[in-house]
Amino acid sequence: MMRRRFRYDLWTFVLIAAWVILLILLIWPLSSILRASLLDNETGAFSFVHYFQIFTTRVYQRAIGNTLIAGFGGMAGALVLGVTLAFVTTRFHIYGRALIQTLAVVALVSPPFIGAYAWIVLFGASGVVRKGLASIGISIPPLYGMLGVILVFAFKFFPHVFLITSGALSAINRSVEEAAESLGVSPARRLFTVTFPLILPAISASALLTFVLSIADFGTPRIIGRDFNVLATEAFNLYGGEVGGNPGMASALSIVLIILSMIIVFGQRWVLRKNVYHSNLIKKPERQHVGGVKSVGLHVLAYAIVLIGALPAIIVVLFSFRRTSGPVFQPGLSLQSYEKVISTVSDPIWNTLLFSTVAVVAIVITGTLIGYLISRRPNIATGALDATLMIPYVVPGIVMGIAFITRFNDPPLALTGTGLIIIMAVFIRRLPYSARSVAAALKQVGPNLEDAAVSLGYSPGKAFMKVTVPLIVPGILAGALMSFVTAMNELSSSLVLYVGSTITMPVRIYLSVMDGEYGTASALSTILLVMTVVAVYAAFHLSGRKESALL
Amino acid sequence: MAGLKIHGLAKSYRDVRVLENIDLDIASGEFFTLLGPSGCGKTTLLRTIAGFQHQDRGEIIVNGERIDHKPAHKRDIGMVFQDYAVFPHLTVAENVAFGLKARSLPKAEIESRVAESLAMVRLDGYQNRLPAEMSGGQQQRIGLARAMAIRPTLLLMDEPLSNLDAKLRIELREDIRDIQRRLGITTIYVTHDQEEALAVSDRICVMNKGNVEQIGTPFEIYRKPQRRFAAAFVGTMNFLPGRMQGGQLTVGSHSVPFPHGVGTGSVEVAIRPENVLLTGASADGEAIALRGEVRKVTFLGREAHYTLSTEAGEIVAQVADPDRDFIEMEGRPVEVRLPLQKVVLFQSNGDVLSAGRP
Repeated sequence: MMRRRFRYDLWTFVLIAAWVILLILLIWPLSSILRASLLDNETGAFSFVHYFQIFTTRVYQRAIGNTLIAGFGGMAGALVLGVTLAFVTTRFHIYGRALIQTLAVVALVSPPFIGAYAWIVLFGASGVVRKGLASIGISIPPLYGMLGVILVFAFKFFPHVFLITSGALSAINRSVEEAAESLGVSPARRLFTVTFPLILPAISASALLTFVLSIADFGTPRIIGRDFNVLATEAFNLYGGEVGGNPGMASALSIVLIILSMIIVFGQRWVLRKNVYHSNLIKKPERQHVGGVKSVGLHVLAYAIVLIGALPAIIVVLFSFRRTSGPVFQPGLSLQSYEKVISTVSDPIWNTLLFSTVAVVAIVITGTLIGYLISRRPNIATGALDATLMIPYVVPGIVMGIAFITRFNDPPLALTGTGLIIIMAVFIRRLPYSARSVAAALKQVGPNLEDAAVSLGYSPGKAFMKVTVPLIVPGILAGALMSFVTAMNELSSSLVLYVGSTITMPVRIYLSVMDGEYGTASALSTILLVMTVVAVYAAFHLSGRKESALL
Repeated sequence: MAGLKIHGLAKSYRDVRVLENIDLDIASGEFFTLLGPSGCGKTTLLRTIAGFQHQDRGEIIVNGERIDHKPAHKRDIGMVFQDYAVFPHLTVAENVAFGLKARSLPKAEIESRVAESLAMVRLDGYQNRLPAEMSGGQQQRIGLARAMAIRPTLLLMDEPLSNLDAKLRIELREDIRDIQRRLGITTIYVTHDQEEALAVSDRICVMNKGNVEQIGTPFEIYRKPQRRFAAAFVGTMNFLPGRMQGGQLTVGSHSVPFPHGVGTGSVEVAIRPENVLLTGASADGEAIALRGEVRKVTFLGREAHYTLSTEAGEIVAQVADPDRDFIEMEGRPVEVRLPLQKVVLFQSNGDVLSAGRP
């Protein structure tokens, strides 16, 4: 009876509060997008005119096609790189595995559009590598357009695939592979008939993630895509209003973008509909020692992937110390870029730290309570809450930004131009990750532990505080730091929501790149990167060096 | 110490009835076992007594006082879990002291009780270890010491041994039984392992589908099953179709007078393998005789199992200390005798018709 009464106290309140938050910060803003997409801009009447235009106008058709190309291309590239790297490092003895993992993590956490910018520095119209090659008579085309976007996505997102699948690969029962071997299946065939099917859940989960990240990415196609327009860039341009905004069309494109993501989410569920393997891990896979040419080849392969992945971050750091004159880099080293950042554009640094900190504190508190609710009080209301929390996964930041600015423009919630609106956007976008990771951590803590504490004389509330909280705190803190990292690096929603006084570092970097102030961009990126790496290192340390904490 | 009474306890999950009108009366100091297959309701019953779940109706009375309205943490009931539920972030000593701290006992008292409990489960010297450094058997000893340290009025154990390997299981069950006897604590023990139940219990309650099938001492449960389910679930039992008519029991082609049998109709004839007699063995009193053939002999060292196909159906006979020539009997015809004293008859509804005469 006590347990029941407890349930109607605290957790009912949490449930109601969670629904209120989701309604105000998620459903209500997103409904504005849906509504705007169904209204004629001129007359305000209900109409499908925007959707009709999408499917009849050449430029929008191309945007949809390009979005799919970028999504599947980025996904395929990231899968090939990530699975290869995971396989090589889990099955063969590779020297410097820790270094490889660190480089992969650097690639993972470096600000999303730094990649695009660094690739331009190297392979752009006046790129360093292109010029170098041209001087010895080799001519390669500048890295703009479709191929560039896909390449950047592949090297930007492969660490997700790598971290997810190497966990799965090292959890395969070695005996299963040995059984295939003893049945006369060649190693290559075994890989495709036994090993990969067994890690299909991990592969498909990372495929889903990289696809959604690729089609939601705004900075890369914007910086490197040139005339390769995608839905995210079109929606931003149409909303931006500089050339006669069209909010209805921007909203309709956003809805199409969300629907594309959702199709992939359901597609992944369909692929996995019966692939649930329970394996008793009797024999862990071993790392094979190979010698000679094969060993050299494997090392070159592994290091090439991670070094190219981390290259943008490395380039940005190096270039931040170069002497500049306007947009042009000059020979020689200098701290002038940093001097300029400190003297003129230090506001973004403080804004970023403030907004990220506030957002993360809110995320951690709300996410922990919701995560507990989902995993320990399963019922219809919490199940629906869990399902609703899926929505931010498929809503690109640009769309969330547009939704927020539409809904919070007028009283009673006139928040446009405040820091709060940027914080709220980051909060709702990252809340699901936190809630889900807490729910997962709680599943590791058997409910019997709390029952044991209750049988020993602690009330359910005290049992939760004394037993469950100490066990999940490291996980919560690691998750908080990762939320902090993504909050600091949030570009797309902030870009829609910022005003002069609330500008953040990613927005400032993006604007600097667009304005050709590469020195400032490099210095700011380096500062952001350093702050990110510090947070990641702390998260790594807290979670007992588990790479899974980074996802 | 405390006795436990349960009256008319019932519980359903949605429309599935997991407990149907359970009545139990457990004496103070008794070792009482709930035995049954998975899904029979035994764990639900145990968790309802602990207060982790709530009955739809019925009463739970400890020492004359109803406890079913109390929250779990005020029932003063110690619990040992199948997955140990040892707190991984606390040392062995902190685990054992955990419940004592809830009771705000003085520090010296806590220390002495922790030492005493750890000595009881033979874990002295492990105070400062973390559970992760210890084996499954040791972790369950922590769980036991932790539950006993609070000196509960009742001790509940939910399949405490089923995650351990066979040898440890026997060792720890002996320890549990010794400690329980020494402290005289009323204990309710849940298991699906019939051998474990027979070995440790004062009384066993055989459960099936939310119902109590039979309550009795291990001897009664094994030798005098009241329900076909209990007979089949505990130990090995041969069942042969038979027919009762006019005081005569017919099995296969053989009829014997069966004066204690009443009524007319088909029955099931049940007999334990160790009571089936093969050719040459001497038999006291009357017996059902069947002709058959030895299909398979399984030699197990101190005994051998003979799978026999008889005119009435297949049965297993157990022979202790088999001779060499017994081993070479596969394929040979044999005469089987089922002593009436050892035979139990069940009606088609599963109730016993006549237990063997003493």
